[in-house]
Amino acid sequence: MYPVSMDPAIETKDVSVVFTTGKNDFTALDQLNLSIPCGQVFGFLGPNGAGKTTTMHVLLGFISATKGEARIFGTDVRRSIARRRIGYLPENPDTYRFLTGRELLTMAGRLFLIGRGQLSSRIDELLSLVGISEAANRKIATYSRGMMQRICLAQALINDPDLVILDEPTGGLDPIGRMDIRKIISDLRARGKTVFFSSHELSEVELVCDHLAILSRGRLVAHGPASKIVPAGENLEKYFMKVVGNP
Amino acid sequence: MTRILTIANTVWLEIIRKKDVYVLLILLGTLLLILVSLNIFGLGGATRYVKDLGLLMSWFFSWILAVNISSREIPTEESRGTVFPLLAKPITRAEFICGKWMGTWSVTCVATLLFYFIIIIVVHFKGGTFNLAALLQAFILHCFVLSIICALAIAFSTRMNNDAAASLTYAVTAVSLLVVPRVPEFMARETGFSANALMVIYNLLPHFEVFDMRIRLVHDMGPAAWSTVIMVACYGVLISFIFLLAAWLAYRNKRFSRSNLM
Repeated sequence: MYPVSMDPAIETKDVSVVFTTGKNDFTALDQLNLSIPCGQVFGFLGPNGAGKTTTMHVLLGFISATKGEARIFGTDVRRSIARRRIGYLPENPDTYRFLTGRELLTMAGRLFLIGRGQLSSRIDELLSLVGISEAANRKIATYSRGMMQRICLAQALINDPDLVILDEPTGGLDPIGRMDIRKIISDLRARGKTVFFSSHELSEVELVCDHLAILSRGRLVAHGPASKIVPAGENLEKYFMKVVGNP
Repeated sequence: MTRILTIANTVWLEIIRKKDVYVLLILLGTLLLILVSLNIFGLGGATRYVKDLGLLMSWFFSWILAVNISSREIPTEESRGTVFPLLAKPITRAEFICGKWMGTWSVTCVATLLFYFIIIIVVHFKGGTFNLAALLQAFILHCFVLSIICALAIAFSTRMNNDAAASLTYAVTAVSLLVVPRVPEFMARETGFSANALMVIYNLLPHFEVFDMRIRLVHDMGPAAWSTVIMVACYGVLISFIFLLAAWLAYRNKRFSRSNLM
């Protein structure tokens, strides 16, 4: 597939993002430095408005950093080639409701230039993985919110990505759906993939993550292995409240 | 090219499944039916009249279709958030814009072809005929007009919401269609600043009148020289390219988020 690289899956150096709204500047990210090696499941935590989604948007090239630089597997994120090895699931995903689930995945696969034969078997595999094989030929407009989340996750995995970026992947899912997502993340880890995901569900993050980072008001306030980041005698929730303070 | 065609194919599926084209076909059919029935009241000159009004309506409807479809594509993707998973894939923003343009342009061309078929059928049943070479030329040049309109609407929609982009495209194209052909006439009566302002308008806006072969068709004047048609087509390609380039320049570094348009 791709040559083995020693580059980190994600690397940001002093990334700042400043939004100008009228006369006021708003700093969404302030000198963010991250280096995430390949094969990690990395949890990105923070209260609403902390800059988690902005970070993901920088990594995906939706927003250019005002300062600093960001790289995916050593490639500048502003180059479209950087996104060949990425799968992305946005928060509260929406998609082309006039397509069927299978058509959506076909479209996604064609954007990665996957051949027809390979694409067909990949689509069947993914539909089975996210548990909506039976609804594959139904229009997405008829899907429930949970099914929408699942088909969007399937399209994020169509290219068998080495880096999966998930923004609140369990939002809108019932407990079974959440368990399924955790299982998919565990499977991805077992296959050596890197998963970068944000979540408000601290208990969930504790269950699946190798490393954690906590962001508050655009700044990285804590960063380290999941097993060591929380001091003895505290749980993640207490620690989170302590480092984030009262945003 | 595969990525551009994939995006264009999605535009097609959207338009067919949302039934936009059908509404316009019904309208054209209804209006042509009125044309046929008008003859009953002795308004005569039957086939020439049907050709004139039918072609005028095909221009009018294809104009509406091109503006409405093209101006909504990108803003809708952004406001619904569907642009995020799309642009997270290895497509460039230039490919995204070209895909949208190709999709909307091809849809409007096919719809226009259907409009032409309806006109041909009605004219045939009223005992009239078209010069086929002239009709082919008229259709080809009509498609280039639609190419320019789609590119312009997409260029505006890269930085505006759906309504604003559509309104501005209607305004610019209406001025191009109705005012620009008469500018030399106005300029003959003006001097100084007014004449210069008119000159700027004349040179800046696209000249849709050079694509319009309706008079030749209505009065059975036969086909134009193919060399002329090719030159006009090249002009259409150039103007479309300029608008698509403008769209790309406006979109390539756009820092958007879902909240931009909500």
